[in-house]
Amino acid sequence: MRDISMILKSVWKSLFMISAISVMAVSTVSAQDAKEGRTLFKAKCTSCHALDQKMVGPALTGVSDRHTEEFLLKWIPNSQALIASGNAEAVKLFNDNGKVAMTSFPELDETKVKDILAYIKEGEPKAAVDPNAPKAGAGDDTTSSLSIIGIIAIVVIAIIILVILGRASKLLERLILQKQGIEIEEDVPLKVGVRKMFKNKKFVMFFILCLIIALGSWGWMGMWNTGVHTGYQPVQPIKFSHELHAGINQIDCQYCHNGAFKSKNATIPSLNVCMNCHKAVQARDNYDGEISPEIKKIYNALGYDPETQQYDKSKEKPMEWVRVHNLPDFAYFNHSQHVVVAEDAIRKAKGLQPNEPVCFACHGPVNTMEEIYQYSPLTMKWCINCHKETDISGQKNNAFYAKVIEAHEKIKKGEKVTPALLGGLECGKCHY
Amino acid sequence: MKGSTLAMNKNKFVYAAFLAIAFAATLSACKDKRSTGLEYARNMYDPIALNPDQAVDTAHVPSFKGHAAQVPPANTKPVGFTEYDDYPNTKEGYEAAGVSMVDPLPVDTVNLAQGKHLFNVFCSPCHGEKGDGQGHLVKIEKFSGVPAYQTGSSSRGGNMVDLTAGKIYHTITYGVNNMGSHASQILPIDRWKIVMYVQQLQKGQ
Repeated sequence: MRDISMILKSVWKSLFMISAISVMAVSTVSAQDAKEGRTLFKAKCTSCHALDQKMVGPALTGVSDRHTEEFLLKWIPNSQALIASGNAEAVKLFNDNGKVAMTSFPELDETKVKDILAYIKEGEPKAAVDPNAPKAGAGDDTTSSLSIIGIIAIVVIAIIILVILGRASKLLERLILQKQGIEIEEDVPLKVGVRKMFKNKKFVMFFILCLIIALGSWGWMGMWNTGVHTGYQPVQPIKFSHELHAGINQIDCQYCHNGAFKSKNATIPSLNVCMNCHKAVQARDNYDGEISPEIKKIYNALGYDPETQQYDKSKEKPMEWVRVHNLPDFAYFNHSQHVVVAEDAIRKAKGLQPNEPVCFACHGPVNTMEEIYQYSPLTMKWCINCHKETDISGQKNNAFYAKVIEAHEKIKKGEKVTPALLGGLECGKCHY
Repeated sequence: MKGSTLAMNKNKFVYAAFLAIAFAATLSACKDKRSTGLEYARNMYDPIALNPDQAVDTAHVPSFKGHAAQVPPANTKPVGFTEYDDYPNTKEGYEAAGVSMVDPLPVDTVNLAQGKHLFNVFCSPCHGEKGDGQGHLVKIEKFSGVPAYQTGSSSRGGNMVDLTAGKIYHTITYGVNNMGSHASQILPIDRWKIVMYVQQLQKGQ
């Protein structure tokens, strides 16, 4: 099975190479223009326009068919002046697109605009996106699980063959013996054999001992792991990959979990945070020009229509994420206390690299987790051990410890110290 | 005789192997990553108070319509909430903010350091750590069309380098074009720290 997929892959790759080369050979004549145009398009236009999707401005594929080049040469450098001059086509275009004024680009001269139009006409060069890349990665994943299934299958088949061979050889033996005229007693059935075995006291003792050890260790481990959710990896309503967002895209944890640095709760981002990027990023390259089904789930939950770019409040349906890290209700944990106040101490204690966020100390290498899972046991022993071992001395610039030291100095001098000075008026001291 | 006992041993071996595999399979099934495993007193893990990011039983609180996160009631505002109604998300609001809003914080090293940290977290993925529009997401072609603070031109007229503090604050609050609103992620006071740092970047410092 693997061989076939490998062959298919190589055939596909060679076909792809041939077609890419021929496309390049054909398009080299106008490539200079379009290539220049692509750079300009990416730099100047893409904050509002895309080729095949409506963004702030309309989709631009086929723009040369909708308008004359003469019109576009005037419109693109300064659309507002064209509208002001009363050009009917310009006024209609302005009104049709929600009267959003397009930025003026006085720096785009005629050749530059023509380059951009050439690029829009030609579309995104296909060779720039390698469709094999994501597929190859997915293939590797399936082969690893396939190979495990394969090994199991081989073992099962081997056992079946062993059974059949055993039966066959026994049958042959019996036939030979019968031919030689020797009567053989019937084979002892397995049940009788087992019964015989259990009449042996030593064996019974040994068997019971084994049973006690096995059940005892199983029970012991079971008790220790009761309520410990290490490795818990529930299926989430959206296949959100931390590996992609935090790893490949290198977006800081705090961008989405912005509560971690200022509150008790790290916060699960609301969907408007997703939309900061996914209004524009729709991963159409990976889904044959369609919006990624996972990104569509964000749109559906928000009642967002990507065609009209409007939100429909009546269609809102909150995303029900499955909670992974769940402390018991009787345990208090504060994120900001750890990631802001104790950042340096935790970094030192856990030996984190400077480029790693402090979050990795407890949440593990999140930037490699395609699906998020609980990395640390979150048991009381785990908390206590860290609190016993972490060195918090020498925290000169830490306002929290400075306040503690100040209070201690006051106590030493015999000055009046109230609970309020020690933060006793914080609501959260009693109400949480 | 001897042959038949050998065959029986072989049979036993087969059964034993089968049992071992079945045992291993059952054991491995116990470690299901999709389940939380054995739990004692699950009700201690579930808060009595509403869990902000989880569904709510409609029978429990009918008016909440199934979710705990709620918008504040009409005509109320949360403690410490900074109103920004004077400068709506329009061209006029943007221009008005550009004229009359000033950074309330003094320019000092502490505020700038915090502004730099916040900028690197919330802005640099697209705008780049130097504000040159060459953030990591732009480099890997996930996003494009990000103007440089020093050399780019603003889509609402003028050059990026000339943007005033109020205009930058307005943009962070409401977003513009492909940039979304960052009001829910960044507190007003933190927005001003970012504005302070961006103004440094505009000068190329």
